[in-house]
Amino acid sequence: MRFLSLVSQYRVIVILGLTLVISALVVPGYLSASTLGLGLDRAATIGLIAIGLTVLLISGQIDLSGGAVFALAGIVSVILQREIGILPAAIVGILVGTLAGAVNGMLVVGLKVNSLVLTLATMLIFRSLAHWITNSQPVTGTDIMLSLALAKIYLDVFTLRSALFIALIVLLHFWLTRTIPGRNVFAVGSNPAAAKESGIASDRIVFLGFVFAGTLAGLAGVLQSLVTNTGSPVFGSELTVAVIAAVVVGGTRLEGGRGSALGTLGGVLTIGSLTIAMEFQSVPAYVQQVVSGLILILLVVLDRAVTTKGRAPGTRPALVRDNPITQGGTT
Amino acid sequence: MTEAAMEIGGVNRNDRFTRGSRLVGVLSKAGLAFAILAVMLYGSFVSPAFFTSGNLLNVLTSMSIVGIVVVGMTFVLVVGGLADLSVPATIACGAILSLGLQPVIGPLPAFVLAVGLAGLIGLLNGVLVGYVGINPIIATLGIGTIGLGIVQAAVGGVIVYGSNPASAEFAKGRLFGIPVVVLIFLVIALVGHFVLSRSFWGRWTLATGGNYSAAEASAVPVQAVKAGAFVITALASGISGGLLGLTLQSARPLIGGGYEFSAITAVVVGGVSIVGGFGSVPRAIAGLIFVQLLTNVMVLDGVRTPIQGFVLGILIVGAVGMDAALRKRGVS
Repeated sequence: MRFLSLVSQYRVIVILGLTLVISALVVPGYLSASTLGLGLDRAATIGLIAIGLTVLLISGQIDLSGGAVFALAGIVSVILQREIGILPAAIVGILVGTLAGAVNGMLVVGLKVNSLVLTLATMLIFRSLAHWITNSQPVTGTDIMLSLALAKIYLDVFTLRSALFIALIVLLHFWLTRTIPGRNVFAVGSNPAAAKESGIASDRIVFLGFVFAGTLAGLAGVLQSLVTNTGSPVFGSELTVAVIAAVVVGGTRLEGGRGSALGTLGGVLTIGSLTIAMEFQSVPAYVQQVVSGLILILLVVLDRAVTTKGRAPGTRPALVRDNPITQGGTT
Repeated sequence: MTEAAMEIGGVNRNDRFTRGSRLVGVLSKAGLAFAILAVMLYGSFVSPAFFTSGNLLNVLTSMSIVGIVVVGMTFVLVVGGLADLSVPATIACGAILSLGLQPVIGPLPAFVLAVGLAGLIGLLNGVLVGYVGINPIIATLGIGTIGLGIVQAAVGGVIVYGSNPASAEFAKGRLFGIPVVVLIFLVIALVGHFVLSRSFWGRWTLATGGNYSAAEASAVPVQAVKAGAFVITALASGISGGLLGLTLQSARPLIGGGYEFSAITAVVVGGVSIVGGFGSVPRAIAGLIFVQLLTNVMVLDGVRTPIQGFVLGILIVGAVGMDAALRKRGVS
């Protein structure tokens, strides 16, 4: 079991390494800078949403509505381009994400309901709004040249999007490990009651966590819409599983109180390189779904095996069972 | 607060717990009946087509397909399993296989095999949730994605058509003037109700959902009961998917999309607690009737589909919020 927990701790590196080696063997020219840059750009979409989800999961909550917010924010930013110009529209799009996150946070904190169920419902609401606004048709933006500018590759590897993702995740790493608010997020996630007793405003942290997650999903959606010059109500519907898989690959626990930004970076890179490898081999989309589903389930089972059996005596025994997400309570 | 006051508080708390859940019961029962009546009244005012036998029969038929899933989903919610998000996969499994295997092994064996394989997906969910202890939403989301992917891969991602007119006639036919699908739904609902409210399995399900540790200490096989709820839901959605496939005579891989939300909405609106330990099949079906009538009235009223999804989402939030509020008043 000691071995298992070691594997679980450093699994990001192991899994990422394995993915890269196998992909390089199967796909010719996989390890060239342009392919990796493409993978990174693709991963950035998942990555931006994953950044928000990492913070939320550490604080013991989850947001399933990210994919729908992604679509909604993108649509708003494209539709408003004609009225108020590209940059203001993009900002409004991101603010739509912030607003959606605030709605989630307010409902979870105010009604004291399980965030899984609540964000499932708001996912339905945001997705319906996206269909409603667009009449279920994709919408196109005004300036096609902008998407070319955004897709431009710098230093052979980075696009604007992937550079932004890397910068944000490094910032998140320092925020989580070096600052007091970052540490408080861990405290709220491992034991909300104890955190409250220690004078941490748990509710506020949870609320801000949702706002943060919504904003980043909005940012990812706006960037995607600008790059493709399109907003579509079906964008992001397959993102939920991929994003959760990426974060879980990175070692962040669904039970709350544990996780890291660098782990999420590794997880996102893994999912990104896997997607690119499968697309290069023209594996059908549904097989790709099977793979990301399998990864998710296998790792969650591994986590479970390690936390229930490989735990040192007396360390966090009750948490797994008491946590609202794992057991469905409403504390 | 003094020792004595706390003691009294403790006693009262127990007392209030029963009163609380009775309050929940009365409110949600009377509230739902009132809501159903209100929708029917509104419907008959707005649209002359609402109170025609043709329209009501349509509502009844489409309600039956969702209703079969609702019966299973009730077990998942009552046992404290939150929700089963693999329903689209199990419905697709039932629909695609019961049509696709018809030429190979005949209509009835195809149907049985399709339902059986759907049950297998449920068994996987059940083992992960009940025995391994994985968060139900994550487990069913993952297994559903995998299952749907495999079903799509099996038929190459295309639409499957029926090849046996006799089975289609049967599924679309009527017995004593009532559509066969509705009869099957009624039988499943009755069996589900009997199992949940009158059998040992139902008592175990309620006990596990109400207080997992206490049920475990009372020698209830909690893990099996929890796993069982997911198997029941998968079998129910397999049957529902098979019937859907037979009546439509075609099945695309995404045929079951949205059914999970319809089922969850119905169960939650019916007043079944999202955290488990409380609820019944008739309650869930009352929720289903309300939601279906509301959707029907919206359709007749010319409300567009996205807005219907929007209303469903708000209904879930409202029902879950009300459940939490009432439970708080009752328990603490």
